[in-house]
Amino acid sequence: MYNADVIVIGSGGGGAVVAKELGELGLKVLVLEAGPWYGNKKWPKPNEHRGAEWSSSPEDLDITLFKQHYNQFENNMNDVVSGRFRFGPADRRRAPWHRIERQTGDIWQLSGVGGTTQHYWANSPRAFPSAIDNVWPISYRELMPYYEKAEATLPVQFAAITAKEELFFYGAKKAGWSFIPTLNVESPGYRQHPNAILPPNEHLMDPNYSLEQLDHMEGCTLRGHCVNGCSTGPSVDRVAKRSTNVSYIPLALRTGNVAIRPNSFAVQIMTEKDPAEGLRASGVQFRDTWTGEVGELTAKVVVMAAGCVETPRLWLNSGLPHNEWVGRGLTHHYFDWVSGIFDEKDLMSIIGIPNVNPFVGHTSGGRVDYPGLGSFQVSGLSPGLSTFLTYGFSEAGYNFLNPPQPGDPWDIRGRVVGQKLKELMIDYPRTMSMLILTDDEVDFHNGVFVDPLIKDEHGPIPVFRYIPTKKSSQRRDQLAKYASELLKAAGAKKVIRSVLPAGFILHVESTMRMGFVTDSKCEALQVKRLYIADNSVHFNGIGGPNPTLTTQALATRTAEMIVNKYFT
Amino acid sequence: MHSAKPYTETLNLHTIVTFKALVEAIIPSTHNLFVYGPVHAVGAVELFTYEYMIWAMDHSLTIHLGLSLTPIPLATPTAHLLDAGAIQLIASGRAKDPQTASVEGGGPFSTLSHADRFRALAILEQGAVDPGYLPQPYQYDLGYVQFIVDYLNRATMFGYYSEWSAYGTTRLNYPDQRVLEHFPLSWVQVGYPGVSLGYRDYRGTMATIIHEGGGSSIV
Repeated sequence: MYNADVIVIGSGGGGAVVAKELGELGLKVLVLEAGPWYGNKKWPKPNEHRGAEWSSSPEDLDITLFKQHYNQFENNMNDVVSGRFRFGPADRRRAPWHRIERQTGDIWQLSGVGGTTQHYWANSPRAFPSAIDNVWPISYRELMPYYEKAEATLPVQFAAITAKEELFFYGAKKAGWSFIPTLNVESPGYRQHPNAILPPNEHLMDPNYSLEQLDHMEGCTLRGHCVNGCSTGPSVDRVAKRSTNVSYIPLALRTGNVAIRPNSFAVQIMTEKDPAEGLRASGVQFRDTWTGEVGELTAKVVVMAAGCVETPRLWLNSGLPHNEWVGRGLTHHYFDWVSGIFDEKDLMSIIGIPNVNPFVGHTSGGRVDYPGLGSFQVSGLSPGLSTFLTYGFSEAGYNFLNPPQPGDPWDIRGRVVGQKLKELMIDYPRTMSMLILTDDEVDFHNGVFVDPLIKDEHGPIPVFRYIPTKKSSQRRDQLAKYASELLKAAGAKKVIRSVLPAGFILHVESTMRMGFVTDSKCEALQVKRLYIADNSVHFNGIGGPNPTLTTQALATRTAEMIVNKYFT
Repeated sequence: MHSAKPYTETLNLHTIVTFKALVEAIIPSTHNLFVYGPVHAVGAVELFTYEYMIWAMDHSLTIHLGLSLTPIPLATPTAHLLDAGAIQLIASGRAKDPQTASVEGGGPFSTLSHADRFRALAILEQGAVDPGYLPQPYQYDLGYVQFIVDYLNRATMFGYYSEWSAYGTTRLNYPDQRVLEHFPLSWVQVGYPGVSLGYRDYRGTMATIIHEGGGSSIV
């Protein structure tokens, strides 16, 4: 007798989608999530008290609680050590769960229902077709209907334009880029981000509606806190930014077939040998992060969606069969960050106001795409996050010790400190930044391993290693130059290139690659009834576009594959 | 601002002086920026960012040792790490400025000029030190040193320019017991209006996605 038809490990970008799709197809699904659940009545103080064990009803979701928990303050939300958005246990008196990085960098992943989509920017572009066709084991055309379904479910819409997007598009046009209003990018150009954010509230520009009223209505209010957690909306399932805890999770609960258990860290995939199928998954062992109790659940199918670090770790710590590609081939868009500072009078003539106001609007509402190279996207953050990305996080050292070479397309390169930093930050409202996403090449030597000596309560801890290939470095440099050209074309008086460290991990992908660790239906080659539904199953970095939508499309498809193979 | 509960009283003076020296170099008090308004004189020492750093370093790492989970406080070894970088800088003749007299409790790092403190950090980051002379847990782990030195920079900036200092007397409580007591001075410095419910700056769209019948089109 099984506890469920399917157990899903992780409730982030992929796990929540699988749970909803399987629930709608009538399967009984249990979801294990390592972190807390914000905005659920069963955990009114999710960081302070253990609360209940399971929630399976949409009636448990509570927007008043959700707004309390997601209070938008950047330190409270996004501090990597103690923030609500960290990779760690719900109890914030405890340290985050450690990962070993023996290089400059940081791994920005979150635990909690919704996973890293809690603070993602909801950028939902499709993969570049050229990064899929004749490269992946499946074609772009095969993915298309699943993209359509995920886009309609979230839903995805072109981003609202605010001042910073207007300035960005002005610069893009002046720099010679073409406008490409498409979801299937086959040639270079600029476009509004396809974002999983509800369109602006139709009354936003009407002063008869107060901001307090608008906050409790449906639609984005351009409040600029995507990265610090959006809570704008009349109910949890209608919050403007469509993290999976407000989109797919409520839909999953509504099926009546899905139960979710937060504060439960999966520590082992249980297997059995079946005479006909061979080695197959039979359940999951997990540890309650408040009590330390270990539980076991059994199911006919197990889906791993714990993310690109924890999914391979779980495979390795479970002693599943050796596969040299488990954890290997990691890509992550080898990011960079290029910013420009503008004069008030130039801004007045272009956007009609004297400031860019990076804190207004979608965190990112516009992008330039270049198949074969990657993308760059206008990005505006609150001051703490903005400062460290622009002036504090670099593999190029200190600007004053190692300034740019004459002829370099930027005026500042690397960290800025001292009085100079404070002077530059006075210009924060007039600063426009761009995140650079490189079409990162797969390299077998990059990946996630486990340390044989250092353990936490969940076993040997992950070790991360990444060195960009020569091609990835060249692509990133080229994109940084294009970004600098755009800023100068828009009139920027000063350009700053952060040279972010290679170990800064946001869009981590391809550590359990389709075709190497799984078959083309995302079932593990060596363990039957074990599926993967997070970024790790991507064959590559999809050309540079943000990976979540592709994971959601694939997870939709994987749910269908599971039902077709084991439940019909 | 009043000092917070006596968390820092449990720390040794050397750790406090060294982290003060670090954050003061990254975000100094700047009386010559007074022309932009009195608030611009304030720097990371006045906003207690060194306490933010010490708290973060002491609450960031727990691993399983023996029978139980064991927190590994990192602030004190990191202060000694900075001294190791300073000693290497001075011994190799690469300090550009004269050292100042040491502050009570301070080590070599705190005697360096602000610019030389970054030269010492750069030496550590580049691994140009004898790894055998570094304190635990950095000894023979230059990759970890590289990670931490970068963290010291970006976390100081994040701590200072986020709302943390405005938790005032509650700033060193556990996060769920912190209460905002005023508007952060650093946000005044940078012209950030603070957390908002919305902005009336919608400027339209150039294209719209229509989802219908299982497909989509763009108009």
